[in-house]
Parts: sequence; C-alpha cells; structure tokens
Amino acid sequence: MTTNTLEPLDPLIHVPARLRILVTLAALNEGDTLSFTRLQNMLDLTPGNLITHLRKLEDARYLTSEKTGDGAGSTTIVALTTRGRAALDAYTEALRKLLGGLVS
Amino acid sequence: MNVTGDINQAASAGEGAALDPREAAKILEQAKMQARRQFDPQSALAAVVGAGVFLFGYGAVWWSMRDQHVYSGPAGWSLAVLYGLIAVSAIVGGVALSRANAGVSGKARRQRQAQAAALAAAGVGAWVIEGALRYRGVSFEIVYGVYGPTVPLIALAAVAAGINAMRESWLQLGVCIAIIGVASLSTFFGPLGAWGLTGLGCCLVLLAYAAALVVQQRRA
Repeated sequence: MTTNTLEPLDPLIHVPARLRILVTLAALNEGDTLSFTRLQNMLDLTPGNLITHLRKLEDARYLTSEKTGDGAGSTTIVALTTRGRAALDAYTEALRKLLGGLVS
Repeated sequence: MNVTGDINQAASAGEGAALDPREAAKILEQAKMQARRQFDPQSALAAVVGAGVFLFGYGAVWWSMRDQHVYSGPAGWSLAVLYGLIAVSAIVGGVALSRANAGVSGKARRQRQAQAAALAAAGVGAWVIEGALRYRGVSFEIVYGVYGPTVPLIALAAVAAGINAMRESWLQLGVCIAIIGVASLSTFFGPLGAWGLTGLGCCLVLLAYAAALVVQQRRA
C-alpha cells in the first residue's frame, strides 16, 4: 500500500494579504525592490494593515525592508529574500499537490 | 486519500485557518496576473497607438506620393503627420514605462535603461547610415523612399526581438519578427511599396498583438 502524504501549507503565507504581498514582490526580478507606497497602492491595503503583515514576513526573513531619508521625504523599500522566494515556491507546490494541478 | 481532510489539516495552522486552499489558489493566480500587468509597460492600448502611427503616419506619406511617376519625395504635410504621430506614440510609451517602473528600483530599472540605450544606438546608427548613403551619392529614391521607412525600423525591431528572446516573451518576439519580415519584403516594391506595405502590414501585426494581449488578460 502506498501513502500519499501532503505537505502542510505554510501558515505564514496562507493568509490572503500576505500571499498577495509575496506574489507581487516575486513578480519583480531577483534583487529588485519596491516602494512601500507602490505596494500599498497595488494591494489596496491600509498602511497599518500592510505594515503589520510586512513585519510578520520580515520576522520570518521572507523579505527585507529599508527606510531611507527622514520625515515627509522618507521612503521605505521592500524586497523579497531568497528564503521568501523559496518559501513561496514551496507553498505554490504544496497548493498544487493539494488541489491536483489547478495552480500554474 | 481523504483530500478534504488533508486540505483542512493544511489550512488549520495559524491565521490561514479560514482560507480555503481553492480560494488561496485563486488569490495566487489573480495576484500573479495583476503584478505582471502592472510591472509590464506593454499594453493593448500602446499597441493600438503604434498601429495608428503605422496606418496614418506611413499611410499619409504613401498617400502624398501615390501619383508620382518619377520619385520626388513625400509632401511636407505628410512628414508632419508622420513625425507628429511618432511623437505621440513616444509620449504614450514613456508614460506606460514610467507607470510600470514607479517605485521599482534595482536590477530591473538598470536592465530597462540598458535596453533603451541599445534601442537608441540601433535607431541612431541606422539613421546615420541613411545620411552616409545620401552623402555617398545614393539616390533620394533609395535613401528616403526605400531605406528610410524600413531599415531603421528593422534595426529597432531586431534589438527588441533580442530583448524579448532573452525575457522569453514569445508573443512579443513574434511581433518583432513579423515587423522585420513585413518591412524587409516591402523593399522589393520601391518607395510606394516600402511606405504603403510597411505601414499597412505593421498596423495589422500590432492590431493582432493588441487583440492577443486582450485575450490573454481576459483568460487570466
């Protein structure tokens, strides 16, 4: 008898907002960064909500963020790490296996 | 195998407990398509604008020369239409590029700048050769009637084809190859054919490309 064990979905990624954050950042080339403002506009999230999710992903070292400048002129940029890209790939693969190839 | 049980087990950890894996797959696909669309400066609208440049710009030059039995060049008004439309398309392309690049920094921005430099070098090089041909006494008919509407376009399309091949953008690569094919074959038909056939052929190629982009977006 063979057993078909399925990998669990990464609970950190398996949340709509965080999944969209990672997928959006993964669409950039490796090493590219995206501004916080553009990411917020693309995902249509409130700044507070986005910061909360980014912090959780940063704590897991799935992404890095960097703030440049002071006051009103400051900019925060966000980038996916190699670990984050690998985690998203693993999540996508696990989801594909779970749903029988419905995910490209 | 109890799929429902496995799905529930996988989804039950952490905050994602309420998210159905099928819903997660849908979010993943939608986010992927949305990100690709927003980071990609190429749009159906830009392709239609490009088609308009070829149809009305090249068409205006063809129209102004259609009754010439001996080549005497296009009318001034037709060149004004052509260059005006090229300027409009450059502005549309620039806006699309700056929108796609907004907030993005790093390798992608540098790559696009390098690609723009390669395209500019190809275009300028082709136009410099056009001047050199005239300087060396080649006829107006060949320099401005046949070379002018085709060779700079072929040079630009060849660089764009290389860029798209590197990016594995097969649809865009096909468009570039089709433009090179249309422009090079039209040179067999003299100045009228070069302007008329290149204009009409490239317009059709870009309209087909715009339609393909719309179909792709609707499928997504």
